[in-house]
Amino acid sequence: MTRHNRLPRGAILAFVIAATAAMTAGAAAQSADPTDAGKAVFKRANCVGCHKWHGNGGGGYGGHALSLRKTELSREQIIETIGCGRPGTGMPFFTRGAYDSVKCYDMNREDVGSRIPPEANTFLRPSDVEAAADYVIAHVKGKGEPNNSECVEFFGNASRVCDIYKAEQPTATQTTHSGQSK
Amino acid sequence: MNNLARRKPSLRAAMLATVAAVATIAALPAKAADEVTPERLLNADKEPGNWLHHHKNFSATRFSSLSDINKGNVKNLKVAWTMHLGGVEGGGIWTHGGLEGTPIVENGMMYVTDGWGSVYKIDTHGGKGTLLWKMDPKTDHDWAGAVACCGVDNRGVALWGNLVISHTLDGRLIATNKDTGQVVWQRQVADPNKGEVITGAPLIVKNMAITGVAGAEYGIRGWIAATDLTSQKEVWRTHTIPGKGEPGHESWKDERNSAAAGGGSTWVTGSYDPATNTLIWGIGNPGPDWDNEYRPGDNLYTDSSLALDADSGKIKWHYQHTPNDPYDYDSVAENVLVDIPGPNGPQKLALEADRNGFAYAIDRTTGKFVWGLPFVKKVTWTKGLDAETGKPVEYDPNKSIQTYVAAVTPSRTNLETDICPGNMGGKNWPPTAYNPDLKLWYIPVIESCNRIKVEVMTPEKLKPREFWTGGGPSQPVRITGSVTAIDVTTGKVAGKFETPFPNLGGVLATPDLVFSGQPSGEVTALDAKSLEKLWEFNTGGGVNAPPMTFSVDGKQYVAILVGLGGAWDKWFIDATPELKRMQPGSMLYVFSL
Repeated sequence: MTRHNRLPRGAILAFVIAATAAMTAGAAAQSADPTDAGKAVFKRANCVGCHKWHGNGGGGYGGHALSLRKTELSREQIIETIGCGRPGTGMPFFTRGAYDSVKCYDMNREDVGSRIPPEANTFLRPSDVEAAADYVIAHVKGKGEPNNSECVEFFGNASRVCDIYKAEQPTATQTTHSGQSK
Repeated sequence: MNNLARRKPSLRAAMLATVAAVATIAALPAKAADEVTPERLLNADKEPGNWLHHHKNFSATRFSSLSDINKGNVKNLKVAWTMHLGGVEGGGIWTHGGLEGTPIVENGMMYVTDGWGSVYKIDTHGGKGTLLWKMDPKTDHDWAGAVACCGVDNRGVALWGNLVISHTLDGRLIATNKDTGQVVWQRQVADPNKGEVITGAPLIVKNMAITGVAGAEYGIRGWIAATDLTSQKEVWRTHTIPGKGEPGHESWKDERNSAAAGGGSTWVTGSYDPATNTLIWGIGNPGPDWDNEYRPGDNLYTDSSLALDADSGKIKWHYQHTPNDPYDYDSVAENVLVDIPGPNGPQKLALEADRNGFAYAIDRTTGKFVWGLPFVKKVTWTKGLDAETGKPVEYDPNKSIQTYVAAVTPSRTNLETDICPGNMGGKNWPPTAYNPDLKLWYIPVIESCNRIKVEVMTPEKLKPREFWTGGGPSQPVRITGSVTAIDVTTGKVAGKFETPFPNLGGVLATPDLVFSGQPSGEVTALDAKSLEKLWEFNTGGGVNAPPMTFSVDGKQYVAILVGLGGAWDKWFIDATPELKRMQPGSMLYVFSL
């Protein structure tokens, strides 16, 4: 009895596991964005605190955060900017040891002097910095005005934060991939 | 419905029975609710052990007559109990919330809020604090936090009838049952989709809750609104920027309709003069903050103290401090209503300590200037006030764009400049206190300069929920502070207690003491006359809220919320580098002898 039952149960289990794995992989393949990890870094490292969720930054009480939508920086330059910050501005450095063990813009702490950027609240590993840069390249750089679908993609549906974009119908200019703006 | 009920009689009966049982249990220990009537609110100072209004009384003096804790024994003051609160989490552009509220105490029951607007009811009997309930309004963090210029803040509640009346950052007015902590009703008063949020405590006048709004950095058109608490309907809403055809509209002289996004927010709780049925409310800065050429004219009623009829919201008078403001010198501060004996009978004054560094006394019957003086040590934007009018001496009513001391004033031809005071003030929202025996008025001072970069604005740059500031500040200069006492009979500075950090919490006055705190953690008691420090305790967290005092079981306590949030640690921290080590927190401290 026991022996008779054990075999089919094992087979069923194996089938269930295989099926579940296949379904998970399928679901992941459908919804996962390779830059989701970078989006998580974008949120966790508080890039939104100045550049906002849409990356447009803008003036305000904290001075002027540059627009990541209008940036002309390459992937490598974005990575260096995240890791090293921007000397003489409020953009902090996110790499541990920047300007000490890690050279930034070919400068060490002595070279950069009083223009050393602030140290970020969170340090990021090189893979996190790259992920954030890939997210910016894929979802922010070169985009036009922020729209509802981008907003919902960022926040989900739990908040009313995207309400102001809902009235807008997607127009040609909003869906056009403007690619590299000059 | 009926069918279902008939089919499942036992379940329905059981549920009804449970509800009845709960109701009975709840009813048993609760005494008849302490109804807060309009009469009690009018006579709040006749209940010395209680603290019924945000500013203690309608005159906003924040003076308590309790004197068991006094200059003879304050050195023995120690922590009686503490309580951890919540609301530290971030949202929108903010990494964390902070505490800016004033506790309300009625008959030993304390009501406090955290930055996201949760209300806590705490029983303070028996020398300890017992949390009875917490009402979490489930504030929409990202919706509100993205358009809160200056932190995740909520400055406290008000009481009316058997209800606790509170605001949320995402624009709601909420009435909570005082006994059960259940929300009875709520009403959307402000609209974060327009950049409007609410941080101030409500003011209850008669049967109305008066609400102010924040958002002058996001292109709002400010207002003050009155909600009837019995019908939950709006009684009136007065815009602080006059519309077409209304008096004052001519003070917006451009053709691009700058008035429609002209700012004039109202986020600090005002005061009320029952003798004339007048609300007196502080009005915020014009927007865009630093590009005043975008909005030629005096820009009424920004940077003004505004008097309104409480029943209709009709404007009675205004007094503007900084016409066509290019500095973000708002006048949202509370007006303290005091009567001073004069040669021709009592002078009825409204006192206001402004972001622009000057303290003003206005005749609150006519709105006319009485006296003014700088309460900060360094003012560079003007050479002083005109002795007759109180306007800055450089003010020229025939000019559309005011330049004041042009060499330091931000403008389209002076795109980067250092000004003193900086845009935090002067004096910001942290409230003053007034001792009616000594006739001394205590100002929590921010001694500051900062550097302004101007951004020239165009109508295309005006977008909903985006900053509308026309530039921004940076902090190359260290910022300190003080508690400065002003003798209201003379209009002169009577004393100064200088502090290494700006005063971000406000002041409490008792007959012979002054209490205040520092963002570096210290809570301090000063001698009311000499401002000599008599006692200090370091809470270990940044003080960003005003102290208050109450009595229960016949014993006096001093309470203060501790948890640095607000604008400082995001926008201004570079001016106080040591404060970078202060950790976010959310804690109530209660002291006694």
